[in-house]
Amino acid sequence: MAEVATAPEAGQLATADSPQIAGKSPWGLAWRRLRRDRAAIAALIVFVLIVVTSFAAPLYANHIAHTDPFQSNVDGTITQNGKKVSVLQTNALGIGVTPIGPTWHSQYFLGADSQGRDVMARLLYGGRASLLIGIGSALIACLLAAIVGLVAGFFGGLIDSILSRLMDVIWAFPVYLLAICISTVLLVKGLQVGPVGVNPNSLWLPTIIIGVVYVPYVARPIRGQVLSVREKEYVEAAIAQGASNLRLIFSDVLPNVVTVVIVLLPLMIANTILTEAALSFLSIGVRPPNASWGTIIGDGQELLYVRPWVSIAPGIMILLTVLSLNVLGDGVRDALDPRAKLRVEGDGS
Amino acid sequence: MLAFIVRRTLWMLMVMFAISLLVFLIFFHTPGIDPARQMAGRNPTPQTIAAIKQEFGLNKPLPEQYVLMMNHLFISRDLVSYTNRGLKVLPQIEAAAPVTFSLVLGAAVLWIFGSIIIGVSAAVLRGTIWDPLLMVVALIGISAPVFWVGEVANMLTQSKFHSSPLFSWVPPLGYTSFSSDPAMWAKHLIIPWITLAILYIGFYGRVLRSSLIESQSEDYIRTARAKGLSERRVLFRHSLRTSMITFISLFGLDFGALVGGGALLTEVVFGLPGVGYLTYNSLSNLDLPVIMGTVVYGAFFIVLANALVDVGYAFLDPRIRPT
Amino acid sequence: MFDSKRRLFALALVGSAVALASGCGSSGSSGSSSGGGGNSSGGSGSHMGGTMKLQATGNPDSLDPAIAYEVESWQNLIMTNDGLTGFKRVGGPDGATLVPDLATAVPQATDGGKTYVFHIQPNVKFSNGEPVVPSDFKHAWERDFLVGSPGTWTLGSIVGASKCTAKACNLSSGVVADDSAMTLTVHLTAPDPEFLDKVALPFSDAVPKSAPNKDIGTNPLPATGPYMFKSYVPGQSITLVRNPQFHQWSKDAQPQGYPNEIVWQLGLQADAEVTNVENGNADWMFEQPPPGRLNEIATQYKSQVHINPLTATYWFFMNVNTPPFNNLKVRQALNYAIDRNATVKLYGGPALAQPTCQVLPPNFPGYEQYCPYTANPAAGGKGAWTAPDMAKAKSLIAASGTKGQNVTVWSETTTLSKSEGEYVVSLLNQLGYHASLKSLDRGVYFDTVDNSSNKAQIGWWDWYQDYPAASDFINTLLSCGAYIPNDDHSNNAAEFCNKSVDSTIKTALSQGATSTAAANQSWAKADQMITDQAPWLPMFNPKNIDFVSKRVGNYQFSPQWLFLLDQAWVQ
Repeated sequence: MAEVATAPEAGQLATADSPQIAGKSPWGLAWRRLRRDRAAIAALIVFVLIVVTSFAAPLYANHIAHTDPFQSNVDGTITQNGKKVSVLQTNALGIGVTPIGPTWHSQYFLGADSQGRDVMARLLYGGRASLLIGIGSALIACLLAAIVGLVAGFFGGLIDSILSRLMDVIWAFPVYLLAICISTVLLVKGLQVGPVGVNPNSLWLPTIIIGVVYVPYVARPIRGQVLSVREKEYVEAAIAQGASNLRLIFSDVLPNVVTVVIVLLPLMIANTILTEAALSFLSIGVRPPNASWGTIIGDGQELLYVRPWVSIAPGIMILLTVLSLNVLGDGVRDALDPRAKLRVEGDGS
Repeated sequence: MLAFIVRRTLWMLMVMFAISLLVFLIFFHTPGIDPARQMAGRNPTPQTIAAIKQEFGLNKPLPEQYVLMMNHLFISRDLVSYTNRGLKVLPQIEAAAPVTFSLVLGAAVLWIFGSIIIGVSAAVLRGTIWDPLLMVVALIGISAPVFWVGEVANMLTQSKFHSSPLFSWVPPLGYTSFSSDPAMWAKHLIIPWITLAILYIGFYGRVLRSSLIESQSEDYIRTARAKGLSERRVLFRHSLRTSMITFISLFGLDFGALVGGGALLTEVVFGLPGVGYLTYNSLSNLDLPVIMGTVVYGAFFIVLANALVDVGYAFLDPRIRPT
Repeated sequence: MFDSKRRLFALALVGSAVALASGCGSSGSSGSSSGGGGNSSGGSGSHMGGTMKLQATGNPDSLDPAIAYEVESWQNLIMTNDGLTGFKRVGGPDGATLVPDLATAVPQATDGGKTYVFHIQPNVKFSNGEPVVPSDFKHAWERDFLVGSPGTWTLGSIVGASKCTAKACNLSSGVVADDSAMTLTVHLTAPDPEFLDKVALPFSDAVPKSAPNKDIGTNPLPATGPYMFKSYVPGQSITLVRNPQFHQWSKDAQPQGYPNEIVWQLGLQADAEVTNVENGNADWMFEQPPPGRLNEIATQYKSQVHINPLTATYWFFMNVNTPPFNNLKVRQALNYAIDRNATVKLYGGPALAQPTCQVLPPNFPGYEQYCPYTANPAAGGKGAWTAPDMAKAKSLIAASGTKGQNVTVWSETTTLSKSEGEYVVSLLNQLGYHASLKSLDRGVYFDTVDNSSNKAQIGWWDWYQDYPAASDFINTLLSCGAYIPNDDHSNNAAEFCNKSVDSTIKTALSQGATSTAAANQSWAKADQMITDQAPWLPMFNPKNIDFVSKRVGNYQFSPQWLFLLDQAWVQ
């Protein structure tokens, strides 16, 4: 055994009997930074909790509340303090009908809406719809934007020009307006693209619409990232070595694009959840009998002065979800890119 | 610079053309809706329908219809609504524009001041408890849906606490023009201003804070410190100036979008008859000429804002050359 | 809701002269109008003056009498314009009485019912100073055709009208105006017992010759009534002021109004309107108060709430040509299953509506109570609805074999229509179908569901008819002729066409010219036959709610024009 340490040769660094100084990959480093960010972890936990409780909606409705959140219960009654109480109460004059308020018990915890349905149960099911649409459309937007941004940034020239201009035109529409326009039109007949049809009642319709509308929002930073990567020296070196386009894309450009997407994803989901809520509030998003947080706020509008909880509760849920996503998004961005070079522009109202 | 402006103007026109075309194509193939029947009202005779088709050129091929509509919109400026034949589109937009402008301007003043206070405070107080606290407040502003905040505000000011001295001055929902009664105009708009501003105070507060913090590590700031300037001077004379570039450019884009009708949710919730409200109504009615008018109007402001921001960039930051 | 477009005042779309059930001057809906007892009219005395503040969410469909066809517009136009005849401007059943307006008397038809000679009131001027002369009517009626008025059917029986188009219209052969003798002679192609009622509608009002041949938009026409339009800003306001040229020539037809000025504030949501009326910032709201506020206004503002019956029915049509509703068992099952009390509750409460199983509303000529679709039905079905019969419904559906099919329920986006729609969706799901709801704005809703090419399976519909003629429900909505395939304006959304029902209708129509009692019997028979075939899922007959501010006095509800705005006091 030599007592003088000799410089290890290339390729011989990690052998079975020499101690290995494990280097961390950029991903590992990022994960470690994220783990240390307590606010982000707290936010992640809150978000996961919301997702879990929303998807546990059937459990709540069937086993705890014993109410059907999708069935009108206009003439129904419940037992309160031993007495039978109407879910929708008429006053003595026969003019005006008021749903019961929060019972703070298992049945009608937050009270009833104007159809006599259990608001709490609907809130959880609504969460399911809102989260599915929010996450789904964010993923669609990121996927499409990644393709567009990649192609535009990488190939440049005329393709870049056309795609960028196209993105700019779509972006010149205020996001909500474009979504409203498309939703209005597709409301009547649904969507038919060749052999693939989307039933106008399914949640896929708002998901696709919102996803498409947000593509320019994500495509711009992706394209910017692709452009800056292209200028980097190691890419030049790879090109000099004769690497093919495909290889370049996969080995150099794509990881950076994925980074951008991961940083943007929480923020995107936050935005899409807000957009879906707005569309459903305006009655052109999720349609009855499906419920989402936005539709419940809309349902609660007429009851606002009498039973404000119907509108307040879903709003609080949206607030908590979007807040936790924003905090998480901050944390992810700080972890992956501490120098905060990624700037995202603009925001819908 | 002149060439840049000319190119930008041409680009603006092209984008507006593209948007108007997009809207036209989206709506003209709406199944089940026949504009002629819509316009003809109830129980029309076949002659009435034929006459309307003739007058509005609804028999012609699509490209010709598009040109006809653009002609009515821009050149002869007598475009008429489909759901109410006596109403011209442009005067409706003209009447609605000051409402939106009042709403957006007031909210903008509030959010500029609010976000500067929050952003600067958070940056200066970095390291203390105040920084994350302010940022959470800002985040809450961003995370609450604006229409929900408006609904809750309505509930509190119009119903729950309306009799208390805090909110008894709040008038019922609606709008009074500035020229007819400035005091009432303001009273109608204060709660909507605050509601709309909450979202943007949060957003811009964070933007400002992060660009201030980022600029701290820039070379020219280190130079300024090395020269012996106080922290305050460094912050306000140097950091803030550069940070305002991003701030102003984002502000320009948002302001443009809002004035063009982006504040539609706020307008609907507070019953303000602005451009956003008009757009939303026309979309519900599938009133194509009004939709066209309002969307083109909105697009104009967005593209104008974009162009102004780019020009402004060139002036403010000598490092950036217009391309 | 009664304010849905084009429901009002529509006469038979098909067929020619429709016999009025009981001559002109027919009494309309009976049933008291609360708060209308005072019945003072003709503005004079201490209550004159003040500015009346009204509210509405949407714009009136037009201020042009030739084009307007909605209550919101007509409630204004009756204050500004006049025709040959009118309806007595008082509250209560008397308000359906036909009276002469710009004609000095209601003429009897001569020449076998084909000619009417009207003498026109002398010394009536338009607000611009021009005198009103008989040729103004001829001009107005020709203008109706030239502007493409939706009301040209009111003039359809005039000689020469069938040749009129939007390009040219000459009624000289059918309308002879003698301006020096102040007479107007009208020749009809065939007797039309309802002609005098038709010309009471704003479509036939006199307009000056300077009126342009297109919708006047925001430039109102000169007025003959006690008020004239001062300004109209769509989405914001309408202002009416007193017409300085007005003098009261007929207290019955066009009385002087009380307020000095009437201002509409437009663009508010119904919720905001309620708050405004409660605070006294506005005097009345056009819309019905949203159901969520009814309890509040009924308990805290009881004296300001007026409830009056409407001759109207609300229902869901079922398309007899598309599955699953092409199966009679399914349609009947739904009629058994629906809880009409629940639908009444969703409308706002038992005091505000009455459940129904049939087409015609109560107190209507030809109405005989008939409801087979209830638990424990009365003998022969001639009783009221009491409760749903779920068991029977489920067995009918099982027999039909249609369980599990997809159903789309259509509704308007208004709160009421949507909530009833949601209830029906829930009901269908309970019965084993897969149902969902589609809501469209009123402006496009009817055009969509009425058009058979859209194959709407089941959808909301409402009809308000204040012409006391059963034909206006049955013939206009459920005859074979009322079903026009692939047409947005087919009033027969159920696509119902039954030969024996049609022949009963024809019998009733011809009996109407001779014997009211016989006609009523035939209409009742038709009503029962239709109900047995169940093309509809009738829910209830609604009542109208008017919520006025504290200071409003002399509230009067006319069965024809609803709340008589200018006859109320604001001070």
